[in-house]
Amino acid sequence: MFQVNRAYPYIFYLSLITYLLSIFWGLFLTPEDFVQGNSYRIIYLHVPASFISQSLYLAMAIASAVYLIWKVKLSVYLVRSIAPIGAVTTFIALISGSIWGIPTWGTWWAWDARIVSTLILFIMYLGLISLHDSFNNNEKADKFLSILVLVGSVNIPIIKMSVEWWSTLHQPASITLSEKPAIDLVMLYPLFGSIIGFTGLITCLVILSSKLQIIKREKNKSWVKDYV
Amino acid sequence: MQVIKFEFLKLLKKSRGWLGPILVFILIMVAYPLTVEVSDVELSQSFFSILWIAALLVIMLATEDIFLEDFNDGTLEQYAILQKNLSFIIGSKVFVYWLVIGVPISIIGTIFCVGTTSQTAFGYQILPVLLVSTYIFMNVFSFGNALSLTKGSVLGTLVTLPLLLPLLIILGKVVVAINFDLNYSGFLLLLLGILSIIIMIIPMIISYIIRAHLE
Repeated sequence: MFQVNRAYPYIFYLSLITYLLSIFWGLFLTPEDFVQGNSYRIIYLHVPASFISQSLYLAMAIASAVYLIWKVKLSVYLVRSIAPIGAVTTFIALISGSIWGIPTWGTWWAWDARIVSTLILFIMYLGLISLHDSFNNNEKADKFLSILVLVGSVNIPIIKMSVEWWSTLHQPASITLSEKPAIDLVMLYPLFGSIIGFTGLITCLVILSSKLQIIKREKNKSWVKDYV
Repeated sequence: MQVIKFEFLKLLKKSRGWLGPILVFILIMVAYPLTVEVSDVELSQSFFSILWIAALLVIMLATEDIFLEDFNDGTLEQYAILQKNLSFIIGSKVFVYWLVIGVPISIIGTIFCVGTTSQTAFGYQILPVLLVSTYIFMNVFSFGNALSLTKGSVLGTLVTLPLLLPLLIILGKVVVAINFDLNYSGFLLLLLGILSIIIMIIPMIISYIIRAHLE
């Protein structure tokens, strides 16, 4: 029935091990930062969470485009199941950033472009969920949800470029595809590991949640009764 | 042209629809100095932020039932059946709303701006920005209200207000530029660019949504 069931344990354990190892590496084996001391170590939570929160929105946008163009029902189930997970990861990114802000910037919160646009992303996720839940007619709700996701995706480039378009408190990206990373390699390897591990864990969550969504929405079909 | 005239007359008849928001705007503009400890410097410093927020909220109020009445009495259904372009009709409807509500608000806001900051030059600079930004607000809020057509306007506002926050950041930059007497025409052009994209795309999206509502 679900082909993904076979791959699921591999993804889960591999990414869990990767994440725990890189967290251990990052927390205990890397040296202290010259300026920030030990406080920079929250990077191994903050960066993966913010990365995932934006990537999930991108995935939602692609899935809604697929739904609107080809009417693939599964893709809109995916959109609906990603939305709460995206909200949670965005929340983690905001909170961890705020905790990191205290020792480095001396403030919990700043009205800075990157932070505000991430907050907007968080509110967008919540708005998407409430929009979808307010309609009894599922097909209508799916249509509106995917339209809103597509319209809201203008926020993603704004978040991405906010640190370069505005002069902000938040630092520009340390890792880019085209240039040499501005972060030392000793800290970079565990960071990559934590991003990959976190991505894998969130992928597992998305798989579980979309399975739930499919069963919930198709509960009147006969194959669901056979499966459950 | 026929459509615009028709919508214009329909909106003018419903004085609650257009007079209400304008009066609310005036009331906000009159009321906020009461909350500031009266000294002219502080007043003129906080003026612009109040102005943007007031314009935003008032336009939110004004577009509250922009499509609801037409949807309930079947006008939108007739429009959709017509061979004419639905998105054109919706675009002109939004335009009429802007003409009747957005333009007066911009002019009143400019007058208050000159009155509060007592610098006439600010007025010339703020008027085009207000005109453009109210039109953008109008379009985006109509989109939200089309989404939540039968579900009340709170939901529509909830989902579209976040989209406007980047715009508010730009407006803040405009104010800084005006205050320090810098060249702000770049921001105005940016706003115009956003507007030109929105004018084309939003009516199309709204007409798609309305067709989905009518199904």
